[in-house]
Amino acid sequence: MSYSKLDDKNVTAFIPGTIIDVKVKPGQEVKEGDILVILDAMKMHNRIIAPSTGRVKEVNVKPGDRVSKGSVLVSIE
Amino acid sequence: MPLKNKIEELKKRKEEVLQGGGEQAVAKQVAMGKLTARERIIALLDEDSFNEYDMFVEHDARDFGMDGKVLHGDGVIIGTGTIYGAPVAIYAQDFTVAGGSLGSMHARKITKIMDYALRMRIPLIGINDSGGARIQEGVNSLAGYGEIFWRNTLSSGIIPQISVILGPCAGGAVYSPALTDFVFAVNKISKMFITGPEVIKSVLGEEISQEDLGGARVHAQITGNAHFYAESEYECFEQIKKLITYIPWNNTRKARKFEPKEPKVSYNIEDIVPGDPKEPYDVRNVIRAIADDSDFLEIQEKWAANIVIGFGRLNGETVGFVANQPLVMAGVLDVDSSDKAARFVRYCDAFNIPLVTLVDLPGYLPGIDQEHAGVIRHGAKLLYAYSEATVPKMTVILRKAYGGGYIAMSSRHLRADFVFAWPSAEIAVMGPEGAANIIFRKEISEAPDPEAMRRQKVEEYKEKFANPYVAAAKGYIDTVIEPSETRRLLLHALEVSSTKVADRPFKKHGIPPF
Repeated sequence: MSYSKLDDKNVTAFIPGTIIDVKVKPGQEVKEGDILVILDAMKMHNRIIAPSTGRVKEVNVKPGDRVSKGSVLVSIE
Repeated sequence: MPLKNKIEELKKRKEEVLQGGGEQAVAKQVAMGKLTARERIIALLDEDSFNEYDMFVEHDARDFGMDGKVLHGDGVIIGTGTIYGAPVAIYAQDFTVAGGSLGSMHARKITKIMDYALRMRIPLIGINDSGGARIQEGVNSLAGYGEIFWRNTLSSGIIPQISVILGPCAGGAVYSPALTDFVFAVNKISKMFITGPEVIKSVLGEEISQEDLGGARVHAQITGNAHFYAESEYECFEQIKKLITYIPWNNTRKARKFEPKEPKVSYNIEDIVPGDPKEPYDVRNVIRAIADDSDFLEIQEKWAANIVIGFGRLNGETVGFVANQPLVMAGVLDVDSSDKAARFVRYCDAFNIPLVTLVDLPGYLPGIDQEHAGVIRHGAKLLYAYSEATVPKMTVILRKAYGGGYIAMSSRHLRADFVFAWPSAEIAVMGPEGAANIIFRKEISEAPDPEAMRRQKVEEYKEKFANPYVAAAKGYIDTVIEPSETRRLLLHALEVSSTKVADRPFKKHGIPPF
């Protein structure tokens, strides 16, 4: 049994949905609270925001992608 | 001996106790970045308002070489004082004296001030900073904890109980805060767990730091055990003081009334909520556009942020706000957000605080993990809490109110006193997409162009049912209002419900789905 540490580096999908917009590129500086991607799910264009300030390491999605729950959308370093 | 000399002796004795655990122990406390127990009380209470009792209490342990030891105040300070003029009873464990460990006399001091708070019907504040049970006192320590827990439960719903975690609070000790109404935690100082890292390592072989196991951030974000999070002790005390202004002294009173103030003009309610129901917004700004002076004290801000709870004022009177947060996880209800809101509703009901519920949610969060985590019984808590509450209940439906979520969020059917809906409200059994797919399944599948037919039927359903007027036609909502009328109508609702009578059949107590 493992535990999940407070993760403010990897941003995941809270529910399956469709990516409708990607606001950041790898290497870009982001501030805590900045919008990273827009995820269409649960009748909402959910703003997926940066949980911490840093540099975008990876962007794993593009508009139109269907994502599953828990998949890492963007990672920050 | 002349009286003067006796007074001198008293002063000397007091001076002695004020040393706490002595210079070295105090230096250690300071090195840990912590205030001493006495400094904390002074920082929290009104100036010169603190009166201490049981200063000269001594421990009564005889075993393991304890009989010769002097422990000033037995490691805890108790007394009474005021916060913005409101009376409070307080205890603060003194970590500099034997690590703030809890022996029988230490516990007896705490239970004495708890009894006092209950008898006088005034709030109780407990500052926890203790290594845990005093091992040398054996089962007497456990008895002490048990006596504290029993009193926490007895006082629950009668006087406000506040726990402040300013150091370790481990093992059995954690249950006292858990039984109280509000838990305050400070970054890098608070540590709360039932079994610490050493036990976890020896029993399970798992390694984790104290901070990652039960630090302030963990309890503010993951567990929900902490209601308020602060970066420093002083910030924490300001939070406590602010909370005290919002709550009554006990369950027979109303919270203090303040001078009414209009919301700040910068919060324009019509600009906050987008017309497109798929666009998110921060519902806290709607609360600020409604509440006096746009002032809102949020509780459990970081945990289960898909629902927002906290205190504000309307026309000077404290109200409890419960609002779905479209900005986080589309504002869904799930296990944690149901727990969070349900407990808050019960708190407000116990302490005569009217409830204002703002509704905009797609429903309950689907998923195997949610179902297996027991979302049925957790979700039921919210229905129970709203149904049970007899304080004035005002509901405003801003946009989406679908299915079980509509019922749960203080609907007419759970005896809301007033239900207002904005023209943007969508009150229906489910969203247009899902509903059209079910109702028009045959037409869609048999159409030459099923996708076009599906879209047409969704639009038809949307037009017919995704509005407030079907519910208004049945009287399930009282009136459809313009957003700018919201505050005025809530003020009016509050005014006319101040003499509300809501009799319920006698029972010893209900059986909520804990």
